[in-house]
Amino acid sequence: MSGVTLRNVKKNFGSVEVIRDVDITIEEGEFCVFVGPSGCGKSTLLRMIAGLEETTSGTIEIGGRIVNDLNPSQRGTAMVFQTYALYPHMTVERNMGFGLLMNGVSKSLVKEKVAKAARILQIEKLLDRKPKQLSGGQRQRVAIGRAIVRDPEVFLFDEPLSNLDAELRVATRLEIAKLHSQLRGATMVYVTHDQVEAMTLADKIVVLRDGRVEQVGAPMDLYNNPANVFVAGFIGSPKMNFVDVNHGQLPDGRVLRLDGPNAASVATIGFRSDSLKPADQGNGMISAKVSVVERLGDAEYVHFQTPWEQELVARFPPEAEVGLDATFEFELSGKIHFFDANGRALANVMLASGAVAKPV
Amino acid sequence: MSDTAVASSRSQKVFLTPRRKRQITSIILAGICAVWVYPLIWMIAASFKPNSELFSNQSMIPIDPTLENYIRAWTEANLQRYFFNTLFVTVGSVVITTLAAALAGYVLGRRAFPGKWVLMGLMVFTLFIPQGYTIIPIFQLLTNLGIGQSLWGLMLATCGHNIVIFMLLFAGYFTQIPKELEEASRMDGVGPVKTFWYVMLPLAKPIVVTVVVMQALMAWNDFLLPLVITLANPAMRTLSVGIYSFKGEHFVDWGGMTASSTIAIVPIVLLFLFLQRYFIDGLAGAVKG
Repeated sequence: MSGVTLRNVKKNFGSVEVIRDVDITIEEGEFCVFVGPSGCGKSTLLRMIAGLEETTSGTIEIGGRIVNDLNPSQRGTAMVFQTYALYPHMTVERNMGFGLLMNGVSKSLVKEKVAKAARILQIEKLLDRKPKQLSGGQRQRVAIGRAIVRDPEVFLFDEPLSNLDAELRVATRLEIAKLHSQLRGATMVYVTHDQVEAMTLADKIVVLRDGRVEQVGAPMDLYNNPANVFVAGFIGSPKMNFVDVNHGQLPDGRVLRLDGPNAASVATIGFRSDSLKPADQGNGMISAKVSVVERLGDAEYVHFQTPWEQELVARFPPEAEVGLDATFEFELSGKIHFFDANGRALANVMLASGAVAKPV
Repeated sequence: MSDTAVASSRSQKVFLTPRRKRQITSIILAGICAVWVYPLIWMIAASFKPNSELFSNQSMIPIDPTLENYIRAWTEANLQRYFFNTLFVTVGSVVITTLAAALAGYVLGRRAFPGKWVLMGLMVFTLFIPQGYTIIPIFQLLTNLGIGQSLWGLMLATCGHNIVIFMLLFAGYFTQIPKELEEASRMDGVGPVKTFWYVMLPLAKPIVVTVVVMQALMAWNDFLLPLVITLANPAMRTLSVGIYSFKGEHFVDWGGMTASSTIAIVPIVLLFLFLQRYFIDGLAGAVKG
């Protein structure tokens, strides 16, 4: 097993740059998730590692070898496709063994490898079936089995769960996590647009936007210390609340007092739903009128309108039973994020005591 | 509304039950079908009648059934020879046409290359040229190639008839197959030829069957091309040309003709019956594409 290193990797489709100068190091045995909105280039990047797309410039290294000019099959990778891509006319067993058989591996060895992979994935009873006789989840297992049989150095997953229904998605997600610990040392690169999948599976998350790496880090690292507004908004559910700060003033004209060397550069403050705490009448920082309440059982997400007509969200305990059109005042407690005019996170800033004052 | 009106509207409804509707449809279809197969039945019936009985006996069933027509056709009229000539041309052209059309259709359906649409346009254009216009040039071409008087020449020329349509059928079908299947096989280290043979072609089975049946029908029944190519060499005749030889200048041997026609249609009917299910699938698939 071995790691993957991308250096200055670029990809153009005609004159359109889809991947711009990407540098990523994925350690051996790491579970790395590429996450980003659709069109950010995450699947293209994965396909470049697989060798299904050419790399315009830069180098891709797998296990210390530069693989730019190698065929997909010579790179030591195996891919699990979003659409499973099982051969419809072959049985599960033949689907899994097809590549090895075509490459001259002996039938008995192929059978042995297929049986072993089937045991890991608990699909031994399905070996004689055709893909159309399988459910979506079973098909996905067969597709993973086909990858395992090849004994790759690196597993590549291209949105493998997005064709499954919600319940199955959670179950299969857990199984992939189990699989990673079971295949000790297997490097896995996983593409998804779902930040929950990214948070739950990854050792390392790479957040991409418009073909660029926005931030690389461990899930909680990205959650607690996002490098910019984009990452802050993308990671975490519900989305982080952002409020614009214009020359030290909130949108309604009140002054926001900040301390620290970078205080003057703050253009946006961000806070998660659990950083909003109800305050006594007259003491709050933000007054709110409830517009939608989402009851999830373990929490209530209360969406409300600020006086400057922005929608924000606050997390309440489940027993709160907030009613529609109720009014609140909130104060900020817990972690507050500060960003400059370019959206970059600012360190060394904090709210001053008695942070909000009436307009001057 | 009065009770009688309700009753009568109800009885009308009852008259056209779905079951009754199906029965009526079946009767109409059976009638049309009978008109369709009547000449065929007549031909088969006539082939078992002696020549003297052919027009005097109006009934379908022969009074004095005989195999004499078959024996005469098979041995004296050299039908045996023609049968195997036809079989050679048909089988050969089916194999070549199907493979060539599938390979070309695969490239046209799944690869982008410069000039693709010009090429497609040119090929479609050839569909509008009537067959009659191309026979002399084909004849000349075969002669120049040195196969003008051989069954190989006839077989190759027969391949050309419908190949453009077949290529387009394949191209349309291959276009619909998701690209991930090919990518999966690339990841598996399977080369393009093996991918075509083991992954793509089996998936195109309905089209393969359609092309096999259509080409077999066409090659087996073709008349003009084999007539022209075999004019100088009667030993090379195919069945359809051979059958024509029962018609002399002053006399038509109807018995021999019906017997040889029956011999000629049996293999093709069997082929169709054997592949019928896939054939219909293929046509339906082609329409979808």
